[in-house]
Amino acid sequence: MVDVATILAGFGDAFTLWNLMFVLFGVVVGQFVGAVPGIGPVMAMAIAIPFTFGLDTLPAIAFLVGVNKGGLVGGAVPAVLMNTPGTPDAAATALDGYPLARKGKPLKATKMALFSSITGDTFSDIVLITVSAPLAILALRMGPVEVFALMIFAFAVLSGLIGNSLFKGIIAAALGLLAASIGADPEHYTPRLIFGHYEVYDGLPLASVAIGMLAISEILRRLSQIRGRMRPAIVVVETDDPNDKRVTWAEYWGCRYTMLRGASIGTVLGALPGIGSTAAAFMSYAATKAGSKEPETFGKGNLHGIAAAESANSAVVGANLIPLLTLGIPGSVGAALIISAFMIHGVQPGPLLFQDQGRLIYGLFGAMVLANFMNLWVGQLGLRFWIKVVSAPESMIFASALLLCIVGVSMATGGLFGVAVMLMFAALGYLMTAFGYSVVIFIIAFFLGPRFEISLSQSLAITNGDLTKIANYPIALVLLGLAVASFIWFLSRSKVDEADT
Amino acid sequence: MTKTADRASGALFVVLGLALYFYVFPNNIETVDSGWVYPSTIPNAVAIVLIVCGAILTVKTTQQGLPPAREFGMALVFLALLSLGIWLVSVVGFLLAAPIIAPALMLAIGERRLLWLALGCFATPALIWFFVVQLLDRSLP
Repeated sequence: MVDVATILAGFGDAFTLWNLMFVLFGVVVGQFVGAVPGIGPVMAMAIAIPFTFGLDTLPAIAFLVGVNKGGLVGGAVPAVLMNTPGTPDAAATALDGYPLARKGKPLKATKMALFSSITGDTFSDIVLITVSAPLAILALRMGPVEVFALMIFAFAVLSGLIGNSLFKGIIAAALGLLAASIGADPEHYTPRLIFGHYEVYDGLPLASVAIGMLAISEILRRLSQIRGRMRPAIVVVETDDPNDKRVTWAEYWGCRYTMLRGASIGTVLGALPGIGSTAAAFMSYAATKAGSKEPETFGKGNLHGIAAAESANSAVVGANLIPLLTLGIPGSVGAALIISAFMIHGVQPGPLLFQDQGRLIYGLFGAMVLANFMNLWVGQLGLRFWIKVVSAPESMIFASALLLCIVGVSMATGGLFGVAVMLMFAALGYLMTAFGYSVVIFIIAFFLGPRFEISLSQSLAITNGDLTKIANYPIALVLLGLAVASFIWFLSRSKVDEADT
Repeated sequence: MTKTADRASGALFVVLGLALYFYVFPNNIETVDSGWVYPSTIPNAVAIVLIVCGAILTVKTTQQGLPPAREFGMALVFLALLSLGIWLVSVVGFLLAAPIIAPALMLAIGERRLLWLALGCFATPALIWFFVVQLLDRSLP
């Protein structure tokens, strides 16, 4: 168990001026990119990772967490003003936010989104801080056999939950494992699938794959959809009533149960790998509407609709770190990017993290709490400015983002070879998205690939190559059973979907 | 059209899996006779998964639609532009290449306003230079 001195030292690290600056910078960048439709926090995090190399681990991770959290707040701005969510997570926010903005209350709608987002986020951070250390102690009792079984289970769940087909999910995971197997194999250290390029002897560079698949491929998709004319600027209509520009305490307090329900849904779904904040937001919205005495007012500018969506999608961010910090398994792309930042800074996520790097983890928790406060302050001050940002031309935004990707990957990989790899994965990511294969599963499988192979090797060594000995490992048996059950359930669900169609 | 997309990608993965299993892996992975997991174990398993799941997908299709051909074409154009830009960076360096790449991309996107083009041409590369070279003390490609 982590001692109190380590916890206090960690929180003390987070509250230094240097860290505060990076959290603040991350939140500002996050809110800015969240407000620009098409960029979003995930792409911003992918682009930002190489630029954090020169930093110590805590400010680097704190900055990325700030970007992620800020992005969720910023994503609500275009959702409310343009009915075009800056991030997919904010799609449910647009259902009531946009009608409210059309009534001349854009600031009221964005402020409600801000307050409920921070409420949900703080709730899930408290859960994360409370449960992750005890869960990590449990996870420490897991040996290679259990870890291997856990990964099989994670792959089964991710393949079934993300995307529209279980088999496409499995193919995406297989492709991720294939990409991860490029380079020296972990047992014999013989070069594998390097085709004479010794630059990839240690494996494909994380930055190239992540930025290519997540940022460049998405930019390519957005660019290919633009049809000649630049997006017009937004005309924001406001009334003169000051109450239409703020959220009163009575209005906020009136949404407390809605936000509590949303935060609970977001936290539970966020702790499970693969479900994601978009699903949480819609689930919370649906639950709130179903439980409302005035369901007919939803979709017409009801504050409860905004509160439900934003509290749920923001609560996912903190909860996503529960499987990452306790098991080393990322539950979302955002978490996968944070895991890659950990690895780039020489920190191996997993149950040993609390034992080996307890101070860093509690520093991260401190930074997360700080990021929530910063989100509130920056949001209060910056909402009017982010409203202007929404109308920035896409040509400028995307051209700058592409240049940043080239520079970032070149810095991360020490040359242009990594940039060429990035382009190849951008093309692969674009094609995968176009054909309905999840790049999220690909990236998670790519991150987990080496550990998966090592766990398999260790499991076979422990059981002396006799797989029937898995019967001596009850946790592994349960996890494998759950993996099979999930597979069968997803298979039967897809049959039901087909019948419905 | 919707079923064609899944059938085509499924068939592609069957062919890819077969090519990997029978040609690419035997020629590019060293054969090792000791140990628990051979270097080819995971890649071979992946190839088998691709063949099996690809085959299933050709039969068990989803409602996946494809973007219009124009969008594929535009994506290809932007990818080609980026490749050219990266080649240019390798020849003349980022500082000289960026003021050409940025406005070229902006023009391809459809930007025609001179002010924004000028900003893309000069301000963006200058800001990146300031951030990377001056603040982070790292070199540009």
